[in-house]
Amino acid sequence: MALRSTATAWGPVTRAFHWGMLVLFAGIVPVGYYMTDLPLGPQKLKVYALHKSVGLTLLALAVLRLAWRLGERRPALPPMPAWQARAAGAAHVLLYVLAFAIPLSGWLFNSAAGFPLQWFHLVNLPALTGPDPALKAAARELHESLVAVFLVVVGLHAAAALKHHFVDHDTTLRSMLPGRGGRP
Amino acid sequence: MRTLFTAALLLAAGTAAAAPTYPVLATQSSLSFVATQQGEKFTGVIRDFDARVSYAPEDLAHSGLEATMRLKSIDTKSPDRDQAIGTADWFDVARYPTATFRTVAMRMTPTGPVADADLTIKGRTKRIAFPFAWKATAGGATLDARVALDRLDFGLGGGEWADESMVAHRVEVVVHLTLAAPVAAAPAKPAAH
Repeated sequence: MALRSTATAWGPVTRAFHWGMLVLFAGIVPVGYYMTDLPLGPQKLKVYALHKSVGLTLLALAVLRLAWRLGERRPALPPMPAWQARAAGAAHVLLYVLAFAIPLSGWLFNSAAGFPLQWFHLVNLPALTGPDPALKAAARELHESLVAVFLVVVGLHAAAALKHHFVDHDTTLRSMLPGRGGRP
Repeated sequence: MRTLFTAALLLAAGTAAAAPTYPVLATQSSLSFVATQQGEKFTGVIRDFDARVSYAPEDLAHSGLEATMRLKSIDTKSPDRDQAIGTADWFDVARYPTATFRTVAMRMTPTGPVADADLTIKGRTKRIAFPFAWKATAGGATLDARVALDRLDFGLGGGEWADESMVAHRVEVVVHLTLAAPVAAAPAKPAAH
């Protein structure tokens, strides 16, 4: 099986990016909402550390995924009204933008708060800015707002995929599902 | 004659205790510590402290260093961390607002002077060796020191916080004092005639 996408289906690399990042996002977002209310203690720091490590992983995956995407073709969309094709394209662009913007805004928030940034106890990353209470508040706001936008866009993206699968009975969803499900 | 003898004795005592006291220039001095949180070093500056420095290399017996640090003034460049550092798990600033440092003996070693001192943080006193570099300057002197401590010796972040992957045990204290010219020793009081 070729690694690259074909005219009719996404390749296994793209599918792995898609579902792998979904799993990580599905884990990190609830943790992000949960951790802020934890009482101050080492447990809280550990949960934050995990959140940051996964966030950095997602940022790295976003970089790799974008590079991969730029170097490969996209399967043709099944027949659909032009507005749907445009909406799908816009949602995909937005998801790519958010895949960068969400972790970067978290990184900025962490830097402005003056906290260390470490990837799974292995590598420390530099701060994007010095401690700055005003910027910290703004970056936090941004981080949270971007996640809210992301959840809405992901919801629409998933709803559209399910609609194509169950209502239109086309290959949109199958062309991304794990496994061999390509287009006939 | 007897009076003169007493005066001479007093004078001798005065001379013996003549290690001069250097006023600390607060704005050009700093007291800080370097700790490691999640693999990243950060510096905490203790902004509010008093220090008293009496030093003469030829009269170590009468030399001494003393400092009182008000720990509410710790600034780690992160308001969240500053707030955390003051809680009962760490410095417990509400119960132990100050830390003190007091030399009990001073000795000369091949690498320079070393003060043996009692350091009290969070109500726990530990005898530490405090090697320092002394440099006479045109206007007075400078004193520089860098001493490694184990935070657990002072009950800083015990229990769950003892985990080194979060906060390392080793903390380096960095002292830089700029000292003005010593205050002229008060002339021995003339003995009563």
